[in-house]
Amino acid sequence: MERPPVPEPVKRPIVPPLVKNLELKIGLLLSFTLLLIAAFALYVLHARGAFEDTRSLVLIAENAEGINVGMPMTFSGFPIGKVKRLDLGAKGEVRIEMAIPERDARWLKQTSVFLLEKNLLGAAKIKAYSTDLGDAPLPDGETRALLTGDIAQEIPLLVERMKGILTNVQAMTAGESAINRTLGSVATVADRMAGEYGILEGVLGGPEQAMQVVGVLQKTNSLLAHLDGVSLKVDGILAKTDSQVFGPDGVMDQTRQSVAKVNAILGDARDSLRKVDVILANAQTASADVTRITGNVSAATADMARLRADVDDSLRKINHLINEINRKWPFARDVEIRTP
Amino acid sequence: MAFLTPFLTRRGAGLLGTWRIWRDTGRLAGRTLVTACTPSAYNRATRDVVMKQIYFTAWQILPTFTLFAALLAYVLIQIVVTTAANYGLSEFALEVSVRMLVLEILPLLTALFVALRSSSAINTEVALMKIHGEIEALEDAGVDTLRLELMPRVIGGVVSVLALVTVSSALTLVLAYVAVYGPQLWSLPDFSRVMAKVFDAQIMLGLLLKTLAFGLAVTVIPVAEGLATPRKLFMAPVSVLRGMVRLFFVLMLIEMLSLAYKYI
Repeated sequence: MERPPVPEPVKRPIVPPLVKNLELKIGLLLSFTLLLIAAFALYVLHARGAFEDTRSLVLIAENAEGINVGMPMTFSGFPIGKVKRLDLGAKGEVRIEMAIPERDARWLKQTSVFLLEKNLLGAAKIKAYSTDLGDAPLPDGETRALLTGDIAQEIPLLVERMKGILTNVQAMTAGESAINRTLGSVATVADRMAGEYGILEGVLGGPEQAMQVVGVLQKTNSLLAHLDGVSLKVDGILAKTDSQVFGPDGVMDQTRQSVAKVNAILGDARDSLRKVDVILANAQTASADVTRITGNVSAATADMARLRADVDDSLRKINHLINEINRKWPFARDVEIRTP
Repeated sequence: MAFLTPFLTRRGAGLLGTWRIWRDTGRLAGRTLVTACTPSAYNRATRDVVMKQIYFTAWQILPTFTLFAALLAYVLIQIVVTTAANYGLSEFALEVSVRMLVLEILPLLTALFVALRSSSAINTEVALMKIHGEIEALEDAGVDTLRLELMPRVIGGVVSVLALVTVSSALTLVLAYVAVYGPQLWSLPDFSRVMAKVFDAQIMLGLLLKTLAFGLAVTVIPVAEGLATPRKLFMAPVSVLRGMVRLFFVLMLIEMLSLAYKYI
């Protein structure tokens, strides 16, 4: 018995897949997408400061208008921290907790000032100012006041002040104001200065006065010329005095001669005294030989008379000499000096 | 009063129909999410459909879409930067650009792009399957259509929208940096500061949830609309039309809710 032939298995055509490398492509797309999402999440975490240490700073403000969480605080225009939390304190003050990254904390010092700036347009800004960067750094968790620089609040005040200033300016520029009068006087002076005598005329008030000053100057000039002549004459007189006092045959020369004469006279006087000595010796011998004395009295008396005449003569000469010196000495006390 | 009865009947039927379709959509979304969270729901077949869905929804349009998004973003950023500079508010230009583009425009734009391209296709496909009785046949054969056909499409759509939003947003951030600071790296700290200000945890989570919601909407709504198609061939275009309109409405609603949550 023949078995019926086994039917040939149906040959299915090998259908190529609809898309080549489908799994690879989808895998690529999905991993790329996941990578992007993860990278972006990490980047945002980094940007929000999740990976860096921060220190806190509490700022106290009057009101929280314009301040919101995440708002940056700038130092020299660079953001160095942001608002982390806003809170109302026990006394109704606003406590603004700032988070400042460690690397930016060095810009904040003990003496730093914090300012909330509200502009007419745009968001409010918190600014930090550190005038002395050598100061001690601001510790963690410090509390500071946030000063407000609100332009909108200042405007009415500014307008009031401007009004005052404008009134003053108006008074200053009015026709009869002090400034205008001063300017008029300046113009008059300037006009005078343009005259024949220039600044002199301006200062003195007119050409006549200026002319007088010029005259005085001319007189002074001629006086100075006279003084020149006078000083020349004085020079001549001084030269003459010199020759008369110190020159040959001058006062000094004659004085020297007189001194020589005095020396000679003194020699004479010494001789006379020596003679007296001899006489006294003679007298001694005489007293020893009384008998001879009596005998020689007449002769001795004659000698004594001659000796007396000699002494008298010497004394007279000295007296004469002293008178002579007194007469010639120009600086004696009672001698009157007459100008030559 | 006689004329009122049919009128009210018609209105009531319409209203009920609308209610039913919304209810079905909600149910489908819930069931899909539950299935998606069940590990045993995944097998080779499911993975294959998910990958194909991602390939057609994201991979194929990635270059074109990225280029288009980059151009649009650059033009918008330039407009914002120039306008801000004119008003002396340059410091806010970057923040405004990033908030406007990355948080709002790009996710919405991506969702609309995917809706026009893939949602309409899904809606047509499911509607035709329904009309031809394929879905019923599969279910009669004991195949879990939700697990094998519908859930993978939803997952693929959500992942695609997420991928497209991520790539275009990343490119936009780079473009924003270049437009505001120029082609140099010195301003990275400034840029980081603005980024830190814009993207807090709430915003990031909100962006992720919004993107997921967009992804869910662009797939669940067309599937639900397709499943609700009456078994008549001429109803296929009507189904796609309804699905698209409802999708647009839901996308706008999600965007509006997200804006309201963020700014109100």
